Amino acid sequence: MAGLRYWFMKNWIDLRATIRLTGLCLLVAGCQTTAPDAQPDEPFVKPANFPEPVYALDKNRPTTAGMLLGRALFYDGILSRDGTISCAECHNQTYAFTHHQHDVSHGIDNKVGTRNSMPLQNLAWETNFFWDGGVHDLDLVPIAPIENPVEMDETSTNVIQKLRKSPKYPPLFKAAFGTDEINGPRFLQALSQFMLTLVSGNSRYDKWVRKEPGGTLTDEEQAGLTAFRAKCSGCHAGELFTDNSFRNNGLFIQGSRDEGRAHVTELAQDRYKFKVPSLRNIEKTLPYMHDGRFYSLDAVLTHYADNVQPTDNLDPILQTGGSFGQSRPGIPLTSDEKRQIIAFLKTLTDDQFLRDPRFVEP
Amino acid sequence: MRLAYSYSCLVSTLVASLLFISCSKETDDAIDPNATNSVAIEFENRVGDQKLVLGTPAYKNAAGEPFALTKLNYFISNIALRKEDGTVQQFPNQYFLIRQTDSQSQLITLKDVPSGNYSDITFTIGVDSVKSLSPVAERVGVLDITSYGDDGMYWNWNSGYIFFKIEGTSTAIPTTANANQQFGIHVGGYGGGWNGSPKTVNNLRTVTLSMPTKATVRSNIAPTVHLLVDALKVFDGPNKISLAKTNSVHMPAAATPVADNYKTMFQVDHVHNDKQ
Ligand code: HEC
Ligand code: HEC
Repeated sequence: MAGLRYWFMKNWIDLRATIRLTGLCLLVAGCQTTAPDAQPDEPFVKPANFPEPVYALDKNRPTTAGMLLGRALFYDGILSRDGTISCAECHNQTYAFTHHQHDVSHGIDNKVGTRNSMPLQNLAWETNFFWDGGVHDLDLVPIAPIENPVEMDETSTNVIQKLRKSPKYPPLFKAAFGTDEINGPRFLQALSQFMLTLVSGNSRYDKWVRKEPGGTLTDEEQAGLTAFRAKCSGCHAGELFTDNSFRNNGLFIQGSRDEGRAHVTELAQDRYKFKVPSLRNIEKTLPYMHDGRFYSLDAVLTHYADNVQPTDNLDPILQTGGSFGQSRPGIPLTSDEKRQIIAFLKTLTDDQFLRDPRFVEP
Repeated sequence: MRLAYSYSCLVSTLVASLLFISCSKETDDAIDPNATNSVAIEFENRVGDQKLVLGTPAYKNAAGEPFALTKLNYFISNIALRKEDGTVQQFPNQYFLIRQTDSQSQLITLKDVPSGNYSDITFTIGVDSVKSLSPVAERVGVLDITSYGDDGMYWNWNSGYIFFKIEGTSTAIPTTANANQQFGIHVGGYGGGWNGSPKTVNNLRTVTLSMPTKATVRSNIAPTVHLLVDALKVFDGPNKISLAKTNSVHMPAAATPVADNYKTMFQVDHVHNDKQ
């Protein structure tokens, strides 16, 4: 109960948004005639400690109605061939919108892919999507899972046709775009509007950075932050904990022998490079790496300390004689440092985001 | 009163236009700089000297491999027409998807072409990099990435249009390579380079064809340029492609020899300059 009160205090702003949103839901559902709240309709809010977003918001700024439409689509199996698989199947809010307990994603007919699902958070700050950065615009992402035979196995053309025929969607498109016309660009923009609002910037770390109530870090966590800045932030940089680059962090080449970035660029210098992932909510997004090979943060740190492989294009930071003057590939880490770094990484968990009622299945 | 007025208006317009028509009839070759008309371009797909019919295993490439086609689709864009005096008329931002299963798609129309005698036609096979990187809201008509159904003219895992897609079957394909002896050759790759990404393979190809007779656009002539498109050139162009070896092409680098081949598959067979 005390926890609930705490939550209410901390979340007053969001709660107001939720109340407005619920009002709008009622409005859409019940055709009420009351005038909507005069508050600015901005479900996307940049946390004060974040840089400017890279997504072209001027071309598709999320509105509450657009976000609600996107949310309805995101949770609807209608996007898959047989109606069974929605986006949420592999992107579950409780785990920062990733596929929990699956190293590689399971889709339609229980078919398995070759890559670990990715968390969906802070997408407005990403320059390229997927582990290999094959997609350059968030709006272009959804057709990939929809048309992937092991994910949703449907044509996007057919999805649009099914939406046009459903009684549910024309009014939602009307609320979002002014007319009830359903077309490809609107469908994609609505999904983006929902995904853009998935902003995680209220972890204990964020509150500490912004000097907000509840923003305390223990000595252990602060030591972890110091070690992290020294050892990890060359790649997991800035407030998003990624520099959005593609790098080889020296994993054993195994399994499907995924070449990562080279799959898209077909350049030898990109073999085995993968997107540097954000580490926000990392406590919840296991398993780790592009193929989900590590089940704990301990295993990840053991990799960096003991198992980094000198494979093609291993990042210079991690090579022998790299950033740490190390005598073999990897990052020198004491067991204290490992423990402290893990303690710090857990301060990036944003419970408010993981439970935000605006993102829950409608 | 009003009625009478509009009636007389109508009559005088009619008279005037009759006059105009008879006038322009007399001065066939005079080019009225203000007059425009449309130009139609017809893409007639063939295989060598045979009609292209999907599903018929009647064709053979230079490697002696018999084959049937089940799909042939390609994008045409950035068309330009060159006048005999060297001036070039461009038609930017017009994209066409030619599909073998849709005869309407094989006849495309350029509107508002200034009068003149046109001797060459240029076009790109594929979708240029600017459009390949444009916001979804600007991708309408044949560029709408959700519009292709089973034709799938878009690489969703490597954001980019498939410029050219040819699929079929050949008994020359080992069943170990493909159990149903099917082949699929998909060509895309606009050169990459987005958000600071590296330059990647560019398979955009532009062809310029001269016309055996000039297309004479007049107020009363809307020419049709009839192209023959020989799908056999996909295998038997400057690069010789054997289906036994090359039957699954889905990445830009591997597709480059195919793009260099299909660049040679177009020719202008004839031009109709019929009076309207
Ligand atoms: C069968 C599981 C599955 C389904 C269903 C699925 N995804 Fe994914 N998603 C993945 C996997 C796996 C990846 C990583 C793919 C890769 O790197 O190749 C991913 C990556 C993404 C990314 C990129 C995130 C980033 O940071 O780069 C976005 C965005 C995304 N998915 C959105 C969606 C949307 C929207 C839908 C519904 C239309 C959807 N996904 C359906 C498994 C799935
Ligand atoms: C040279 C750049 C680089 C450095 C330095 C680096 N990382 Fe990484 N990290 C990466 C890349 C690249 C990946 C993704 C690799 C893959 O999946 O193939 C990654 C993945 C991870 C993951 C898995 C994330 C997920 O969502 O699956 C964690 C956790 C992680 N790193 C933590 C750390 C920590 C802690 C440090 C410092 C001890 C560190 N990294 C140092 C580049 C780096």
